[in-house]
Amino acid sequence: MFSKFKQWYENRHDYAREWKERTGGKVMGCFCSYAPEEILVAAGWLPSRILGSHEPQDVSEKHIFGMFCPFCRDVLAQGLKGRYNYLDGILMTQACLHLRQSYMSWKMHVPVPFQHYIYMPQKVQTRHAVPYHRSELVKFTKALEEFSGIRVSDDDLDRGMTVVNENRGLMRQVYEYRKEPEAKLTGQEAMWMTVSSMWVDKEEHSSELKRVLEQLPDRAPGRDTGARLMLIGSENDDMPFIELVEKVGATVVVDDHCTGTRYFWNLCEHQDDRITAIAERYIRRPACPVKDWEERTRFGHILELARDFQADGAIIIQQKFCDPHECDMPPLRKFLDEHDIPNLMLEFDATTPLGQFRIRVEAFLEMIGQEDLF
Amino acid sequence: MITAGMDLGAKLIKVVIVSDGKVIARVKKTSGFEQDVSASEAMKEALEQAGVTADEVDRIVATGAGRNFAPFAHDRLTEVGAAARGAIARLPEARTVIDVGAEEGRAILITPEGRVKDFAVNEKCAAGAGTFTEAMARALEVPLEELGALSLTSDKAVPMNAQCVVFAESEVVSLLHARTSKRDIARAVHDAIASRIVSMARRVSIKPEVVLIGGMAFNVGFVESLKRTLEMEVHIPEEPDYVPAEGAAWAAYDKVAGKAAVDVQE
Amino acid sequence: MPKYPTEPLKCWKKAKELREKYYRDYASASEKGGLRWTGGAWSFDAIPAGLGDDVYPITGEPYSASIAFNKPFSMRCLEETEARGWARDLCSYMRNYWGSMYLSEFNLGGKYPKPDFAFQDHICCSHGKWYQVVAEYEDIPYFCIDISVGPYNELDEDRLMFVVNQMHESIDWMEKITGRRYDDEKLIEAVRNDCRSTSTWADICVLNKNIPAPLDEKTMYSLYVFGTLSKHSKEVADFYEELRDEVKDRVERGIAAVGNERCRLMSDTQPPWGFLKVFRYLEEFGALSVGSLYTFGLIGMWEDKPDGSWGPRTTPMELGVPMGTRDQALRVLADWSLSRPEWQHFYDADLKSKMMLRIVKEWKLDGVMLHMNRGCEGLSCGIAENRLAIAEADVPVMTFEGNMGDEREFDLAKTRDRIDAFMETMELERVEE
Repeated sequence: MFSKFKQWYENRHDYAREWKERTGGKVMGCFCSYAPEEILVAAGWLPSRILGSHEPQDVSEKHIFGMFCPFCRDVLAQGLKGRYNYLDGILMTQACLHLRQSYMSWKMHVPVPFQHYIYMPQKVQTRHAVPYHRSELVKFTKALEEFSGIRVSDDDLDRGMTVVNENRGLMRQVYEYRKEPEAKLTGQEAMWMTVSSMWVDKEEHSSELKRVLEQLPDRAPGRDTGARLMLIGSENDDMPFIELVEKVGATVVVDDHCTGTRYFWNLCEHQDDRITAIAERYIRRPACPVKDWEERTRFGHILELARDFQADGAIIIQQKFCDPHECDMPPLRKFLDEHDIPNLMLEFDATTPLGQFRIRVEAFLEMIGQEDLF
Repeated sequence: MITAGMDLGAKLIKVVIVSDGKVIARVKKTSGFEQDVSASEAMKEALEQAGVTADEVDRIVATGAGRNFAPFAHDRLTEVGAAARGAIARLPEARTVIDVGAEEGRAILITPEGRVKDFAVNEKCAAGAGTFTEAMARALEVPLEELGALSLTSDKAVPMNAQCVVFAESEVVSLLHARTSKRDIARAVHDAIASRIVSMARRVSIKPEVVLIGGMAFNVGFVESLKRTLEMEVHIPEEPDYVPAEGAAWAAYDKVAGKAAVDVQE
Repeated sequence: MPKYPTEPLKCWKKAKELREKYYRDYASASEKGGLRWTGGAWSFDAIPAGLGDDVYPITGEPYSASIAFNKPFSMRCLEETEARGWARDLCSYMRNYWGSMYLSEFNLGGKYPKPDFAFQDHICCSHGKWYQVVAEYEDIPYFCIDISVGPYNELDEDRLMFVVNQMHESIDWMEKITGRRYDDEKLIEAVRNDCRSTSTWADICVLNKNIPAPLDEKTMYSLYVFGTLSKHSKEVADFYEELRDEVKDRVERGIAAVGNERCRLMSDTQPPWGFLKVFRYLEEFGALSVGSLYTFGLIGMWEDKPDGSWGPRTTPMELGVPMGTRDQALRVLADWSLSRPEWQHFYDADLKSKMMLRIVKEWKLDGVMLHMNRGCEGLSCGIAENRLAIAEADVPVMTFEGNMGDEREFDLAKTRDRIDAFMETMELERVEE
């Protein structure tokens, strides 16, 4: 039922090339999930999140110091290897230093016709964040207009908001089926869906979602849900790992990832000033740890999800060297403990030591299972 | 004119004597606890082999980790400088030297005169190529000397983490669990090391011809992986472990001849 | 025989006293009814100055660097932080600071003095998070100003106002949490001092263009630090003017920092603080580091001079920029600070490469040694690109790996080895004694 998403996930580059040919449109490589997709869609561009390929590589060390996270190095490697040679533009929406480093190096060494850096607020908690972010988005829209020789009207923006919101709403509907006692879909299926939505044409993705939603109510999962797990962490599209987890007696029912709920959870709500509406959507969305200060708002979102989806436990995926997540780690674990959510932390690199992780995951599941016995 | 080079490594001491453009003696000896004693003995053996007396040697240059404690050396040269000079003596077309030993990996960009133009050394996290293969050979229950040959029989690339030895070691355990064949794991190990080394070497802009020296040059499996990763021919000089000592001997030679590769102010 | 005469700095004693007074004032502030606040070296320290003359900061980075000098204490701090679950690859300043806080031990003796509030700014990802953890642990109010509005050459009104608006917001917040009335006159005075300190420091660095260099970087570390402690204070601004006059005098009399100077280098990022002897080792080759973008531009403020050279930024006072109101003063402070050279590479490594190459040229350098600092992701952001740019410009460059505040990640013998090899590439042998 989710094979289309899987196919999109596995053939992202073919998809984008084919999309360009079919529509004559332009593709924007986005470095972060904070990219204002509504504006891109309004301008007729295809937003395409740049992710790594989880392969060992030897091309990034020349450009990025080894203590930067494996993800940002994997991302840059994709550019240096020419895998994204169809991009018409690259877009940085101010994220962590590591991704910014990938963007800088990409800009210097991989020729792309259009580049733009949105100096998005890191402090989203100040009341000045929305108006300021609005001004940055206005600049971005103007730059896009100038480059593409088009004008982005309010009607275009309305359409952009509608299209992106629809996609978000449909994915949330699919997530609803993960709440059921016997989850109707696996975590891996959900991952194929959310991650592919980051580079597939939203309308096309949405129509596939609608098809799936028609069939989901009658779907017999054909497997035991087992322990209900939540995944927490930064970017995560480690398919072999989630597959492993779901083979040893568990199902991932929800996540807090920027390739998952943080990306699509909240909608863009209409306002007369469209760009303000869009700015507000990104300022208010579930925060990446890099933007989650002075208050910690992220943990509330996590707890709400864990409760709504009745998670028995959480696996925290710590991207090696990811400082913002490392700065959340001990308080997060304490918070989960206080709320009786057992948790396991694993440190991730671009590739995963599956055998070793399998032992830990199994031990963790045993531990969760034991609690039920008493 | 007769000059000598000594390479005082943690495990081995090598002495090379050169005369009128030719190597006339090569001696290898374990360092032992008293390195200076072993060094004197190695020098004595080399002199005997060359058939010359100590007084006839015009100049001695020491290199290697123990170079500062070398007895009777006139000058010192780092492993980087010695490898560069030694490599150019073996292959005048050499422009990049990759030196991979038990602990450290280095890439050196050299000029046609055998001078160092730029160099990179692996960061801590990517250290220990030689030691790593030893550990992997043990994990696979394969004699170390056979690990290279074994990996040549593999025709399958199994991806392995390229950043850190410790993480890679746990990946080998995973591969064993997943019943991956020993030959494919052996290749994966060499591919991973090659990837780390090439990754580091790309920091200096690699130029042909590429010469590989150091203990890992003896490992055919690693050499194959390195060629594949670099997408370049890699030259292995005969007896590659003597290259730094020879480089030191040639540096001494240059100096006496007045075309100092290393400019000395006295 | 050394080529050039050398002599110790006359104001060394004063520098030492000033530094001691800074930490003493902070530690004893509460006894006298004063306020203590904690924040970063880049915090807008001029802003809390408006709360009164008895308000004392402690800035985390220099405090942690001082811990790093004290290796046994540093080790206990780092281990305490790790024991509480924090990752070992986080900012080592932050880990030393947290350790000192958790252990409740002050590096200068006694208990760790609890601050009344935390006031930070944010450009590096660790900045905002650092004092989030402090505020939670100490249960104190916390305000952080986001300054990541892009490089100075792209600054416009919207970006400037985002910073200025937050500054205004921070003042309202300070009044609320301290119950004190804010004095704009004191703010204005502090902004003037900030501009004076940071411009004068650049002036001092310019004097190092001379051969022989009157200062070496190891000495500069002990001096630039005042800009990270209290750039807004009159004492620091006055001290820098005095120092500038002394360094000028050294130049006029041909006094060198290193008598046998024959190879001029620069470094990059914070040094491994526990191993400054690396710089002494360079001297064995007649080499010295005459500075870095780090020592010049972490605090110093710069601009293009009419003759095309890089020099101290002309102060708003010299330009006659109006600074009579709170808003005017904050605007000046924001604009002034956003031009800080060490804030530019957070968006674009190329901007930093250009400044570095400019230093190579104008300071007449022979080579560059980059500290691949595992302790600071902020200042090492883009460093690999900087290395490439320097190498492409045919300037000899070496890297050495280390950590500014975690000695476990620094290998002295290996570093010396690399320096030896680097000196060989530059064809320098040890200077015979």
